[in-house]
Amino acid sequence: MMLNGVRRSVHSYRNDHAAASGEAKMTLKDSMHLVSDPENLDKSVHEVFETMLGVQCRPEDRAMVVPEHPTAVSVTAVVGFGGILSGACVIRCDASAACAIAACMAGMEFETVDDVVKDAMGEICNMLAGTWKSKVPDLASNCGLSVPAVITGSDYNLHVQSPEFRISKTYAFNETRFEMIIVCDALH
Amino acid sequence: MSEVRALIVDDSSVMRKIVERSLRQAGLESLVVFEAGSGIEGLEVLRSKKVDIILSDINMPSMDGLEFVRQLRLQQLAPDAPVVMITTESSEEHVKQAIRAGAKGYIRKPFTADQVKERVLSLLSAV
Repeated sequence: MMLNGVRRSVHSYRNDHAAASGEAKMTLKDSMHLVSDPENLDKSVHEVFETMLGVQCRPEDRAMVVPEHPTAVSVTAVVGFGGILSGACVIRCDASAACAIAACMAGMEFETVDDVVKDAMGEICNMLAGTWKSKVPDLASNCGLSVPAVITGSDYNLHVQSPEFRISKTYAFNETRFEMIIVCDALH
Repeated sequence: MSEVRALIVDDSSVMRKIVERSLRQAGLESLVVFEAGSGIEGLEVLRSKKVDIILSDINMPSMDGLEFVRQLRLQQLAPDAPVVMITTESSEEHVKQAIRAGAKGYIRKPFTADQVKERVLSLLSAV
């Protein structure tokens, strides 16, 4: 339901864009291997975190459970994709990791997940989504992004029904770990 | 370079701070920064403040960056100030849209301070 809500804000992008440019409808089916290539996510995370936070991110083999304790606060930022790909880019982590990410971006320390931390998480998700889609030429110009949505709290799940594909990976820098998810529920 | 007055339009306060920091790192020591959280707020600022350069996000709620640039040109607000779009959208089509709307420059997020410096200084020296 959450992803549907995000997606609605960019739902008309493809038709508007095609009408404006006079182009025939694009299809991503032929470049599915490029779109679902996990290496694009690795490259995007590396590029965004090195450029904007000045840190080197490494992929981790073991999957992350967010939050690690059921009552702990976690932060999830979501940017929806609309157009020839429907889906979302998600970054999620615990509160301390969100504060660490925001601290690197803003150049100041945070002890709690305040509005600035949420803002930073939304922006980092926005840049990750934009960078990820720029790795596939068809996506770069035919897939729009929603404004970020940020969810904080505990005991919630992110659920998408029957996705076309889903890439989920854990990354870390210093002692900070976070999870990235690209979920695609339709390719056109 | 003499005092430079810049307007930064972005719905993210963190991004506004990062852009300001990049401008200061560009050697614009005598820098006056005005901030706006949306295109509508940006237009309000320009009704009362004179600026030398405008840096605007595109993807914003209520009034996006492209509409903001169209409106400021239509209303002849800051007619001599170049506009640089700073955005995650980087396809050729998005750049064309920004130029058509009236932008003079384009910086893709994520960006380095050097990229901001190069783009801003070249536009300011051309004014």
